[in-house]
Amino acid sequence: MIENEIYRDVAKEDFRAECARLFSGGNGRLRLMFAADLRETGEGFCVYTVFSHAQEDRFEILRLKGIGGEGGKPEFPSITPEVPAAHWYERQIADMFGLVPSGHPDLHPLVLHGLYPPDVYPLRRDISSEAISRHLALENEDLSPFMEVKGEGIYEIPVGPVHAGIIEPGHFRFSAVGETIYYLDARLFYTHKGAEKHFERIGFKEGVKLSERISGVSSFAHSAAYCMALERMSGTALPARASAIRTLLLEMERLYNHIGDIGNMCAGTGFAVGYARGASLKERIMALNHQLTGSRYLRGVNTPGGVLVDALQDPAATLREIEEITEEYKSFISFLTSSVSHVERLENAGVLSRAIALGLGATGIAARASGLNDDLRTSHPHFYYGQLVFETHTRMKGDVFARMMLRADEVGCSIAIIRSILHKANGKRIEGNISDGGEWEAAANSQALGYVEGPRGSVFYFVKSGANGAPLRVKPRAASFCNWPLMPFAVHGNIVPDFPLINKSFNLSYSGSDA
Amino acid sequence: MIERIFYNIIRKKQALPRKKLPAAAPDALLLPGKKEKEVFGGAFTRSIRIRQVDAGSCNACEWECTALTNPVYDIQRFGIDFVASPRHADILLVTGPASAAMANALKKTWLATPDPKIVIACGDCARDGGIYKGSYAVTGGVDKVVPVDAFIPGCPPKPADITANIMQIVKLLSKIK
Repeated sequence: MIENEIYRDVAKEDFRAECARLFSGGNGRLRLMFAADLRETGEGFCVYTVFSHAQEDRFEILRLKGIGGEGGKPEFPSITPEVPAAHWYERQIADMFGLVPSGHPDLHPLVLHGLYPPDVYPLRRDISSEAISRHLALENEDLSPFMEVKGEGIYEIPVGPVHAGIIEPGHFRFSAVGETIYYLDARLFYTHKGAEKHFERIGFKEGVKLSERISGVSSFAHSAAYCMALERMSGTALPARASAIRTLLLEMERLYNHIGDIGNMCAGTGFAVGYARGASLKERIMALNHQLTGSRYLRGVNTPGGVLVDALQDPAATLREIEEITEEYKSFISFLTSSVSHVERLENAGVLSRAIALGLGATGIAARASGLNDDLRTSHPHFYYGQLVFETHTRMKGDVFARMMLRADEVGCSIAIIRSILHKANGKRIEGNISDGGEWEAAANSQALGYVEGPRGSVFYFVKSGANGAPLRVKPRAASFCNWPLMPFAVHGNIVPDFPLINKSFNLSYSGSDA
Repeated sequence: MIERIFYNIIRKKQALPRKKLPAAAPDALLLPGKKEKEVFGGAFTRSIRIRQVDAGSCNACEWECTALTNPVYDIQRFGIDFVASPRHADILLVTGPASAAMANALKKTWLATPDPKIVIACGDCARDGGIYKGSYAVTGGVDKVVPVDAFIPGCPPKPADITANIMQIVKLLSKIK
């Protein structure tokens, strides 16, 4: 029994009202919503919602079961009218399971493009990957229409899926009036790799490698959340030293992401020196990652029940390098904030209002820069965070500058956490094994959540095993999945040339969201 | 003032230590049958332009490609650079397991690249799908969609390895002594 997970079955007629009560206008956060095909256990299709408060370490997990059972129509009451944050989740469920959220205000395909036949639902358990592959029509153009804005002087700018820079694929359709963006319609999921079904195919243990490859620069956050879910599912305890190493490396990941992002924003304003300095500093942290773990992206470290690499072997040397990085970073950030032309471009660009962030369930930097104090490290302490004293940060304005300065605040916090762990390790106060030594075994008929606060926001995993201990359902949820729907609101009223800058300030992962 | 501007040159000091290139993987990089491709004879010697295409990668390979242009790796010093349009490119550097949804776009990008061109599959999933092999949503390797000349191993390959391997591949295919 996992203490902070409260599972509850609800009746179909109460489902929407119960979700609305837990959401309570956004104060309760919708962390995760997904479906599972449990027809083999006699429970039919189930829809789960996971809510939690920022003030309380408790996840309320509602389950609506038996959807489409006994010849009934495969549909469930949509909660989007009451809980706007469920908007994308429900469209995803409709695409992947063929369960219709009745009453959804804007239901059209999200994940599956035109090349997927309309009556094939990939996450149903009775269709194999091979069978789906045979049905694909790769040459099919995706012809589902974009939102069309009509009126005098409105024109469309199509961009993508192959972009001009070295970035991920996605199609953006701008409707602009002169230089000003009136509406942005983004078509994503070009990098959809079927990860959720693939987890079921390759099994729990091999899944660690897959979780590291959901989103490149959040490799460690994803594998940590996944391993945490596996450990909670089987009741495996995590040794203190392993827990400290995970915390250290989560902060290293945040550090290189935030500093890299602050540098990348300079590319958005054409500030070449700032960009180059940010990139060099990021490179230095990546090199330190490599030195600590043998991987620049911190891959191959996590395993259920512990870690495989002891990153705390030489804390004194790591500490010296961190001090040097800190000095270089301080000079870098004061250099950026003293550049008036750079800061001018950032202020008042891409404003995301608190109301939109709250309603659509923003997470991470996007939420905290718009005044939502939501950080899993303090609200749901995991790993070593419960034993550390630190402050989380918020900014109120919600513009690009707020997101940059919030990253700067959080870099300070990450450095403090890293130092604190390294000092403790140096004083031999974090001892013991890095794993429990035994081979991890999945528990049968069991389920659990795993979660971490990654560099882009909260990362969630839900795992459920069947009677033989094989995966019945693995649901990863990257931070970017919550934040992509915010983009049209943040860019509205901005000029088209500011789009790359605004996009960089959110630093969204396409691959993580597309999964 | 003059001394300040030319500080680094006067002091013979480099602003940042540049990375030395590691040894490239030998001929194994080239896919079978591609070694004797006469069409490249002398076509690429200096000034090589790369168009990077993400065909469903997890984004780690892209960040390593981005790192190539930072002051530490500084790939431009070898006459290699990234371009925005496939029409300006000599090399298509394709990452990712070639997701089904990107197959069409990848094919079009390949068609838009003028001949002679080199297609390099970069990263383990670009070769055969990697960890995603067997998933319904990936075609299972870049060569399932466009003809591939060479492969750079790694998940993701390190920036210095990417540079060294690109140079080696160009050398082999162009028969430069």
